[in-house]
Amino acid sequence: MTSTPSIQFQNVKFSYGKHEIFQNLSFEVERGQICGILGANGAGKTTAMQLLMGLLKADDGSIIVLGEKLGNHNLHRFGYMPQLNALYQELSVEENLKFFARMYGMKNRRKRTIAVDKALELIELDERRLDSVSSLSGGMRQRVSLGVALVHSPDVLILDEPTVGLDPQLRALFWDHFTSLSNLGITILISSHTMDDANHCHRLMFVQEGKIVADGTPGELRSAVELTEATLEDAFLHFVNVSKESV
Amino acid sequence: MSLDRIFAVSGRIIRQIIKDRRSVALIVLAPVLVMTLVGFSLFDERDILNRIIPALLGVFVLFFTFLLTGVSFLRERSQGTLERLKITPVSRADLLVGYLLGFLLFAMLQSVVILAYTVLVLPVSYQGEIWQVFVVLVLLTIVAVSLGILVSTFAKNEFQVVQFIPLVIVPQIFLTGVVVPVEDMPWLLENVSKVLPLTYAVDMLIGIMLEGQGLLDLGVQIIVLSGFGAIFMIGASVTVKK
Repeated sequence: MTSTPSIQFQNVKFSYGKHEIFQNLSFEVERGQICGILGANGAGKTTAMQLLMGLLKADDGSIIVLGEKLGNHNLHRFGYMPQLNALYQELSVEENLKFFARMYGMKNRRKRTIAVDKALELIELDERRLDSVSSLSGGMRQRVSLGVALVHSPDVLILDEPTVGLDPQLRALFWDHFTSLSNLGITILISSHTMDDANHCHRLMFVQEGKIVADGTPGELRSAVELTEATLEDAFLHFVNVSKESV
Repeated sequence: MSLDRIFAVSGRIIRQIIKDRRSVALIVLAPVLVMTLVGFSLFDERDILNRIIPALLGVFVLFFTFLLTGVSFLRERSQGTLERLKITPVSRADLLVGYLLGFLLFAMLQSVVILAYTVLVLPVSYQGEIWQVFVVLVLLTIVAVSLGILVSTFAKNEFQVVQFIPLVIVPQIFLTGVVVPVEDMPWLLENVSKVLPLTYAVDMLIGIMLEGQGLLDLGVQIIVLSGFGAIFMIGASVTVKK
C-alpha cells in the first residue's frame, strides 16, 4: 500500500497580474523526503512555496497537503523558514521561540518549555538563549530562524534558501539537522540555487521560468548528461538548455 | 479568537517596547515637557489653558500610539515576521486585539503621567469623573492603533511612516479644537472637522474634564468615535488578510 504524498500540486496555475508564473505546475513529494527545488533567481521557487503555504492563492488547480486542502486547521503541521530571518530582533532567542510556539497553539507552559529546550538543543544555541537576536551573528540568526520553524514539531518543513550566507561548517551542520529530521519522517521542501545543497537532497526538481524541466534523484539527473563525472551544475545547465531549445 | 494568542501578541509588543528604554523614556517625558511649555506659556491665560490641556491629552494618545503602531507594524511587514505569522493558525482578530492591548498599556501609562502632572503641577482645575476620561482614551487608542496599521500598508520604510504625520495627525490637531475652538472656524473647516475622529475625542475630554459632563451626555460623540474605531479596525483587518 502506498502512503498519501505529503505535498501534491495538481495543475496549478498562477499569475502576478498579466505575468504568468505557473501554467500547469504538478508534482508530489513523499513523506520523509527531502525535495529540492532548484532554479535561477525568479524561476518561481519562492512563489511555489508561498502557494503551498497559502500566502498566495492559485488561479486554478489544487494544492493538497497531508491529504487535505490547506486551512487554519492544519497550518500547525507546517514549519516555514523564509529567506529573511523574520525574527523579532529586540527579543531574546528564547522569547522568539516561545512566542512562535504560542502562535502555533502550544498553550501548555510545561510542554512549551520542553519544546523550546528541544529546539535550542537542536540549533545548538542553548548557551545564547537569553541573548537578543540582534546581538547574534548572521549564521546564529539563521539557526534561530530554523528553530522557530521547528519548535512546534511540524510534519512538513518548508525552507526557502536556508543556507544562503552560511559558512561551509554551518552549512554542513544544517544538512545534518535536515537529514535527521527527514529520518524522523518529516517532509522537507527546500529551495536553493546552490549545487552544494542539491547534492544533499533525496530528489531534485530543476525549475526554469515556472516549469519543471527535470525531476529525479541527484544521481539520475547527473547520469542524464553525456559527460564523464558530470556534476549537478552540468546537469542543471543541460536541462535548462534543452528546455530553451524546445521552446 | 484565542486568548492565549492575543496575550502572546500583546506581551511580545510590551516586551519589545520595554527593551527599548529610550522609547519608554520619550513616551513619558516628551508629553511632560510639552505640557510644561504649554502650561507656563499660558500661565496667565487660564481659560485657554483649561481648554488646551484636555485636548492635548487626546493629541498625545493619538500621536504616540499612531506612530508606535505604524512603525511596529511596518517592521512586522518588512522583517518578514508578518508573513511568518500568516502561516501560523493566528487569526487577524488575535493579531489586531493583541496589538491593541499592547499599545493600550503605553497609551494609558502616558495618560496617567499627563493627568497627574497637569493636576498636580500645572494651574488647571478640572471636574468630572476620571474613569470616564479613560473610556474616551481607550476609544481613541483603538482609532490610533487601527490607523497606524492601515498607514503601515502604504509605507515602505520608517521614514515614510513619519511622513504620514503631517497628513494624518497634524490636520486633526489644527481642526479639532486644540488650537482654535471648532465653532470659531470658517464653515468649510468646521465641516471638515466633523469627519476627524480627534474632534469627537477632544469634545468629550473637554466636556468631561471642563464641564463635568458624563458619558451619558456625550452619547453621540461616543457612537461616532466608536464608529471611526470600527471602520478603521475593519480597514486594518483587510490589510493583514491571511
